[in-house]
Amino acid sequence: MSDVTLFHWEPNANSGKPMLALMEKGVAFHSHYLDLLNFDQHRPDYLAINPQGTIPAMTHGNRVLTESTAIMEYVDEAFSGPTLVPKHPQDRWRMRWWMKWLDQWLGPSFSMIGWNVFVGPAVRSKDPGELRAVIDRIPLPERRVAWRKAIYGQFSDAEMRESQRRVALGIRVLETELGKREWLASDQYSLADINGFNLAYALPLSQPTLSNDQLTPNILRWLRAIYARPAAKACWAMGRTAMVKRVAILEQP
Amino acid sequence: MKMTVYHGEPNGPSLTVLAALFEKGLDAELIHIDLARGERHNLPFAQQPEVALSVEGEGPVVVVDGEAMTDSVFIACYFDELSQDNPLRPSDSYARWEMMSWCRQLIERTAPAAAHVGCSAYPPSCDPTTVARIGSVDLRERWQGTAARFAGEGSAADEQLADCQAKIAQAVAKIEARLASSEWLMGGFSIADLESYAWLAGMVELVPSAFLDRPLTADWMKRVRARPAVARAMSLARGPDPAHAWAPGPEINRWG
Repeated sequence: MSDVTLFHWEPNANSGKPMLALMEKGVAFHSHYLDLLNFDQHRPDYLAINPQGTIPAMTHGNRVLTESTAIMEYVDEAFSGPTLVPKHPQDRWRMRWWMKWLDQWLGPSFSMIGWNVFVGPAVRSKDPGELRAVIDRIPLPERRVAWRKAIYGQFSDAEMRESQRRVALGIRVLETELGKREWLASDQYSLADINGFNLAYALPLSQPTLSNDQLTPNILRWLRAIYARPAAKACWAMGRTAMVKRVAILEQP
Repeated sequence: MKMTVYHGEPNGPSLTVLAALFEKGLDAELIHIDLARGERHNLPFAQQPEVALSVEGEGPVVVVDGEAMTDSVFIACYFDELSQDNPLRPSDSYARWEMMSWCRQLIERTAPAAAHVGCSAYPPSCDPTTVARIGSVDLRERWQGTAARFAGEGSAADEQLADCQAKIAQAVAKIEARLASSEWLMGGFSIADLESYAWLAGMVELVPSAFLDRPLTADWMKRVRARPAVARAMSLARGPDPAHAWAPGPEINRWG
């Protein structure tokens, strides 16, 4: 009987990071699906576990963990199974550096575009009064602003342009890095690859003019190599939305 | 293995890295650069992606075997992994998670706020040729924003300042709460103490209200300062007060 419960949404962005890390390690866990589009993450029963109302969270016995990238490092350390962190300190530094760049620089731009085209429109048709109440319930002021912008389509042109600029640059940067090494941070598959895959798995579909076999062969090689792993297949099979099913593009040779 | 540490005044990320190096007793060549004049961008490795695109903004660079490394928390982790002596992270996995997530929230919320407040009070200045050389467009814009605020342009500046001051107060409140049950933030002394202290030391003067009636934080700051490694890092200051040395840091969350 597992004493690990993961509270997560789709295998995508932050939720997918600990999901895939646990599955790569072969750790059995209870999956507690929170429907982000139904605002499950702001309900009292979840706020009792994670008062910040961010997804994902993990419990291990009576320990509660949040912050997806930090959870992944814990998963690698606390459980047996194949190691997902390189041995050499300099490789570890590189793994952490690239995860931070993904989490705090490239990720938010991908995410802003995703919220604008997917999350916002998916929830916009709900009752206006209910949406106002939902926004008021969000604990973190930053997330309240983000949800308001997504729900009411308030991302400015300047913000969207900046996100597009970062996505385009980020794709070029990733392509160059993946030309230097087999994996993102070192010669070993690591948490940095799990992190990056969660951000980029649908890239050839979402940014077809910026990422394709001609322009970014290294990124495509990398994404396909990750999706060829049994853990990644099993993880993405847990997805329920059309957004996540886009991963099927990686099955094509 | 040859290691070179390019550092600025012992404040913010440069303080974390120098103090962590001395805590661990590691050998390195130390080279002082003026981060507040953008000198990092004139170094030969400035365009390497991990330097040019560092989320930390202006911070120290550690060069090992030709590879340039940035980001103070991860450099401190790197130092910690080079030897078993004087550990700077808890040994228990859960306590380590706690330290890493503490640092993550600090570098995401507190550090951008501190850098903004610091740069507003003690503006760095970078000549246009150097600014043009900055590899990251968004870091270049933070330099330009700093210059514009100093020139009194733009009305959004004050609004952002108040929000940044509030974030400093929240960070100090969190620290005060942690210290109710232990001497250091994570139980034993760790990178979390160094990184938190390094970003907040300069805020005592600039956001005094955040430190009012916070006796545990005041004592903790004294304890951090009293550590020989921190004192040694502080002795490398060239200016009269390293707490006045600021350069554009991490960006304030674009999402709000």
